[in-house]
Parts: sequence; structure tokens; C-alpha cells
Amino acid sequence: MSNVLNFTSVDKSFGGLRVIDNVSFNVKKDSRTALIGPNGAGKTTIFNLLSGIYEVDKGSIILDKNDITNIPARKRINMGMSRSFQNIRLMPHLSTLENVMLGQHHLANSTKENFFPLGLIKRNKWAARAEQALINAGLETYPGQVVSELPYGIQKRIEVVRALVSNPKLLLLDEPAAGLNSTETKELQTLLENVSTTGTTLFVVEHDMNFVRNLCQHVVVLNFGKKIFEGTPDEVAKDPQVLEAYLGGNDDNAP
Amino acid sequence: MVAVAFTLTIGMLNFLNFTIPALFMVAAMITWAATAAGLHWLVGASIGMFVSIIASLIIERFTYRYMKAKYGDATEHALPLVSSLGFLIIFEHVVIMIWGTDPMSFDSPFAHAQFKIGGIIFGIPQLISLGLSILLVFGLSLLLKRTRLGRALRSIAEKPDTATLMGVDVGRIVPVVFMMTGFLCALAGILFTINYKNVSPYIGDHVATNAIAGMVIGGLGNIWGAIAGGLIIGMVEVLSIHFWGADIIKVPVWGLMLLILVFRPAGLFGHTQIGKGKF
Ligand SMILES: Nc1ncnc2c1ncn2[C@@H]1O[C@H](COP(=O)(O)OP(=O)(O)OP(=O)(O)O)[C@@H](O)[C@H]1O
Ligand SMILES: [Mg+2]
Repeated sequence: MSNVLNFTSVDKSFGGLRVIDNVSFNVKKDSRTALIGPNGAGKTTIFNLLSGIYEVDKGSIILDKNDITNIPARKRINMGMSRSFQNIRLMPHLSTLENVMLGQHHLANSTKENFFPLGLIKRNKWAARAEQALINAGLETYPGQVVSELPYGIQKRIEVVRALVSNPKLLLLDEPAAGLNSTETKELQTLLENVSTTGTTLFVVEHDMNFVRNLCQHVVVLNFGKKIFEGTPDEVAKDPQVLEAYLGGNDDNAP
Repeated sequence: MVAVAFTLTIGMLNFLNFTIPALFMVAAMITWAATAAGLHWLVGASIGMFVSIIASLIIERFTYRYMKAKYGDATEHALPLVSSLGFLIIFEHVVIMIWGTDPMSFDSPFAHAQFKIGGIIFGIPQLISLGLSILLVFGLSLLLKRTRLGRALRSIAEKPDTATLMGVDVGRIVPVVFMMTGFLCALAGILFTINYKNVSPYIGDHVATNAIAGMVIGGLGNIWGAIAGGLIIGMVEVLSIHFWGADIIKVPVWGLMLLILVFRPAGLFGHTQIGKGKF
């Protein structure tokens, strides 16, 4: 199977502190891959490097045969990569539907679509598409609500939907299950399983090891900015180095 | 309308753009100059509008964007504000160099278009101005609320970095705000010329104080509030000229603004960012 992502020999430092240290891994096409590690291991930093919020100091990032190492953040969504955030980054005063529609902003880009008064035309294809995405995620009750007024768990899922509607080849999710109750987590898992059958590869940062075990076939483990292990969830759970990393970090979420 | 332009850049970019009155004045002067040179007044107005929009884009390039590129975030610095003040002064002096400081009179094509209701004289141009303003704000809020461009604009107002990750081209959309600013200022300048029938390089200053007062009264960042605030200011001016004479005209206007700031710090219609779905 080919890779949708090659992350090769990447370094990143912040003011002398090396946060990512010569990390390499691949993500297989159509796989469901997890990135785990104790708090502060550098997981979110890797996502920020992937989505272009930070530039890498060294190394390369290849997305589906395109070198995206140094292209501007704005263009990466067009290359087929979108993400959700650990700390919710919805537009707080836009409605649910508008936030989701923002996720497909880059798809509708003709001049006509820029000025077309969307809300006035009932059967608009973009609005319909966004609504359908919300229905698939079981969020159809909230389209017109301003997102800052919604509960955390709902906002969390809206962010996943916003990332989904761009039809990405690679979907990056930073702790999508954090703050969800067990029912919501199950629903999220079903949603993500469905998504991964439609040509989207999942790359997920998650502390909830049950969730990782149920969803993912492959796990990359990070500690102090270094990759310490890579394998199936079962292999990860047995690896002494991984256990050591989690015990040393006093983490309750050990695999 | 100038108040709306102010409010637009404040709400969108968190930036008090002091070149706004200069754009207003330039458009008015050009309309006058072109008409005085024998062109049809509509042609003059078009040139004025064109120049104003171009000038606004140049201003964007050298104030907002320059500072943003240099310091990361233009909104957290007084620099764009100060540099836009610089532009105001430059524009004023260029105009003075070309046309001098004397007020010029403009032969309005609508000089005698007016009618009376119960002793109060309404000029047709004034009514047209009011109508146009309301129409424009209506169009503007439709654009902001209902279109993809508007959604992109509101996203930039809320979280420019996240908007960038969604593929929104901030570098191309911010100039659109400045173009709208240029357009609004020019239109206001042209309407001013037609209404008051005389222009001078200093009209910008007068209008700026009123527009800022109007904006504060209406509520920062609230475009409907800006229109209402502008109307209230206009009324206070007319009434105070009537009762106390023209010499102390600034006193009631600023007095009212202070009163409102004391009792309703957010303005009559609420302080709001453009994104907040209030209009
Ligand atoms: N912009 C930054 N400037 C300086 N240091 C940073 C920056 N971003 C991250 N770091 C540091 O990099 C390290 C890794 O942070 P990161 O957020 O990637 O961890 P994480 O694995 O996502 O942790 P968590 O599980 O808590 O989300 C931390 O020590 C953090 O303090
Ligand atoms: Mg993190």
C-alpha cells in the first residue's frame, strides 16, 4: 500500500529547546493511524508543522507525492489536508452551518460564488452539502445556532465536521474524543469509521487508548520529541519503552 | 456614510483608519475640480470615486499590510493609526498645493430641487443621500451575512489565523475592505459636494469629527448603528444651529457623545464585532 504522508527527519526547536527531534514516520493511504505520547511529547507540534502553522527547521513533508514542506498554510487545504484542533478553534460568533461552510470555503471559489447571496436561495448546493455533513454527524439540530452558545462536546464535533467537509485525503484530528462522554465517543468512532471508507485517511492524536485501539490499526508513539515506537495497538501496549515513557510521565492514560 | 466606513475598518480589522476623511475630501475636491473644468458632474464624480478607491488600496499597502508584515499583527500597534494620520496630512497638503485653501463653490445640478413640509425644507439631494446610505448599508449587511465573501470577511474578523488554515486568502480579502472603504468615502464626498455646494481641503476634518462621534454613538463596529448615529449627529447639528447658532456647533455634538459614553459605553445599539451576527 502506498503512503499518503511521508514525514522525514524533521527537526523543530523553539528558542533553543528542541521539541521535535529527527522524527520520521509514514502514514499509509486509507489507514487509520494514531499519534500518541505523554503530555508535552510534541504531538500538537507535529500537527502544526503538517498544517503549516510552524515551519520545519529541517526535514521534509510529502503529502501524496506533493512536497508541502514549505508551502503556505493557506494552500495546504487545497492539497487535500485539513485538521481539527485540541483547543476548539471554531469561529465563535458564526452559526454551526456557517462554520461548516467555512470548511468548504476553498472548494467554492469562482467569482460568482463569492457574491452569490447564499442564504436567500433555498436549494444551494453548498448549504445542502454542509447540512448533509451535519446530519451524518448527528448534529442536525443546531444549524442556525451561534457556536459559542453550544456545549463543549457539540463544538468539538462541529470542528470535526468542519474539517471533514473539505473532502481531505488526510484528516488530522487533535484529541477529537477529549471531553466527549462515552455515547458521544461511540458516535464519533462510527462517524470516523464511515469517513475512512470514503477515501480519507485518518491521522489522530488521542489520549483515550480505548478509542485508539477501537479505531486505529497503526500507532506512532512520541516521547520528548522523539519517536520511540511504532506498531499495532497491541504491540504498543506491550512495548517496555512505551510503558516506561508513560509511567515515568505519571500519566493516567497509559496504554 | 463616513461613519459606516470607519465602523467597517474598526469592526473588521480593529484599525481606526484616519485616512477615511482624507479620501472623502479628495473625492469631493476631484468631483468639484473636474466639474469646474467643464466635465459633466457625473464624470467628475466617477473620477473622484476611482481615485479614492485606488488611494485606499495604496493606503492598505503602506499602513495595514506593511505594519502587519513587519510586526506580525497590525492591530496591536498604534503604528497603522499614526501612519494613516500621516496619510491624512499628506493628502490634505497635496490638495492644498494643487487647488489652494479657499472653499470652492460647486454648481449643483440639483440646486433648486427641494420641497417643504410644515415649514421644514427638505432638499431632494439630502433625501437621496439618506436613501442611498440606507440602501448601501442594507446591501453591505447582505454581503457580509449571506455571501461566501462575507463569511470569509467575518472569519477574518474573528480568527484570521484559523481562517487562513481554512484556505481563506487574508492577503486578498483585506484589500476588499479597503476598496469598500474607498468607495463609501468617495460616495459620501460626492454627495457632500452636491448637498453643500462648496468644498475645501478642510471638509475632511469636520466630517471626521462628526463621523467618529456618529460611530461611537451608534456603537463601534455596528454598521446600522453608524447610520443611525450619523443621522442623530446631523439632527443635533441642525437643531443646535437653529437654537444656539453655528459658532458652538461642536459642543452639543461632543457633549452628546460624552453623555452616551458615560451612560451607554457600548453605544446606543451595542458594541459589536462585524462577526457577531448582530445585523
Ligand atoms: N510555540 C511554542 N513555543 C515554545 N514552545 C512550544 C511551542 N509550542 C509547543 N511548545 C513546546 O513543545 C512541547 C510539545 O508541545 P505539544 O503541544 O506539541 O505537546 P503535545 O504532545 O501536544 O501535548 P498534549 O498531550 O499536552 O497536548 C512542549 O514542551 C511545549 O511547551
Ligand atoms: Mg497537544
